[in-house]
Amino acid sequence: MAPKLHLQIDDRSGVPVYRQMMDQFIYYVAGGTLRPGDQIPSIRELAAALGVNPTTVVKAYTELERAGFVEKRHGKGAFIAANAQALTTAEQEDALRRAAKQLAVEATQLHMSTPKVIDVVREELGALSTDRAADEAPVKFAVMNGGR
Amino acid sequence: MGPAIHARRLRKSFRTGAVAVNGFDLQVLPGEVYGLIGRNGAGKTTALKLLMGLLRPDAGEVRVLGRSLWDAPRGHRQRVAYVSQGQQVPDWMSLSDLGRYTGHFYETWDSALLKEHALRWDLPMDVPIARLSGGNQRLAALALAMASRPEVLLLDEPAAGLDPIARRELNSCLIDVLLRGDGCTILLSTHLLGDLERLATQVGIMDHGRIVAEGAVEDWQRTMRRVQVVFAEDAAPRDFTIPGALKSQTLGPVVTALARIADDAQLAAVRALPGVRVNVFPLTLEELFVDWFREPSAEQPEDRQADPSQPGFPARAAS
Repeated sequence: MAPKLHLQIDDRSGVPVYRQMMDQFIYYVAGGTLRPGDQIPSIRELAAALGVNPTTVVKAYTELERAGFVEKRHGKGAFIAANAQALTTAEQEDALRRAAKQLAVEATQLHMSTPKVIDVVREELGALSTDRAADEAPVKFAVMNGGR
Repeated sequence: MGPAIHARRLRKSFRTGAVAVNGFDLQVLPGEVYGLIGRNGAGKTTALKLLMGLLRPDAGEVRVLGRSLWDAPRGHRQRVAYVSQGQQVPDWMSLSDLGRYTGHFYETWDSALLKEHALRWDLPMDVPIARLSGGNQRLAALALAMASRPEVLLLDEPAAGLDPIARRELNSCLIDVLLRGDGCTILLSTHLLGDLERLATQVGIMDHGRIVAEGAVEDWQRTMRRVQVVFAEDAAPRDFTIPGALKSQTLGPVVTALARIADDAQLAAVRALPGVRVNVFPLTLEELFVDWFREPSAEQPEDRQADPSQPGFPARAAS
């Protein structure tokens, strides 16, 4: 039986709806809520539940399949692929790299030295880890809103 | 298979001399959901009436499912349903009377679907339409339109006057139509751009009687950005333009543009300029719409409109 998912679409985010869906599936895999072999909702179910055009769900599933997160089994539906977990790690690293690139550009524009930039990053990470200890809730989709 | 809806160089003026629709081009493919957006008075309602064959164009071509509805036989017209902004159903009749009466004319009539919508939307079947609230009258008209199982659905601001719950019900009803999988084509005009982000596959912006920009919703969400470039000097260089800009404004050292950014590399040269800061913001359809119609600020006479022949824009008309 598939786990219960709470997918949400934010139509004020400016992020394509199919991308929002993809990110949430990837997030669920990364967080362990969805495991390899789990069935994901049918296109019909998801379109009706989220109130989105079915072609958008098709697009999200096709992209997830192409990226290797999801596999279709003929006549049975779509399932989380065996190596989805490993891909998630790669995806996270990609997202982090995109953010780091942006940071590097800004740092260069501000004429900041490399040690200073690294110090700032270290401080921010430190501040976050104390926050996180206080509140175990993960930062939702913070590093995964790719495609921007 | 040809387009479900086709209009070319449509023009319609009224006796007052007002030209409501002028140079209106539109192609909607079967199964697409096309959102027509634009300011009040842009000509959306007139365009829909021309498509529906309720008005005769002064010039131009119009075809829905292959032919003009103005002179099409009833059998052809019945494949298309239209819900207007104003009331159009005889309001002394109840929904069940109307279902029986209208159903006689249609081979495709689905009275079970009419009952299903009435139940879902809490519409009484046996009360005269006139006694329903404005929002419910609108839902009743929609329920009747859906019950004819149309191949093309033309909706003129279907959500106007609906409360948020009814609006959500309307959206899920449109999703149901799409899930039926028989390729129903939907063209709707609306001011509710958030709903379009979820529902529409294509969006067209209408201004002064024609479509001035159109594209796939997903493509717009992916590529349309607000880009702001801040120069270190007091003023931006006069000849500076943001690559991909569609609308641009300069205020001292700050250049802000509505731009199509297919790839961030497009901005690499700008980012490399000494002392320049570049900010890129994603845009919702609503923000895009507002940016599109933003008046250039008065104190900046050198405001320029970016070249409309930018590659890839308007998306389909140009390609």
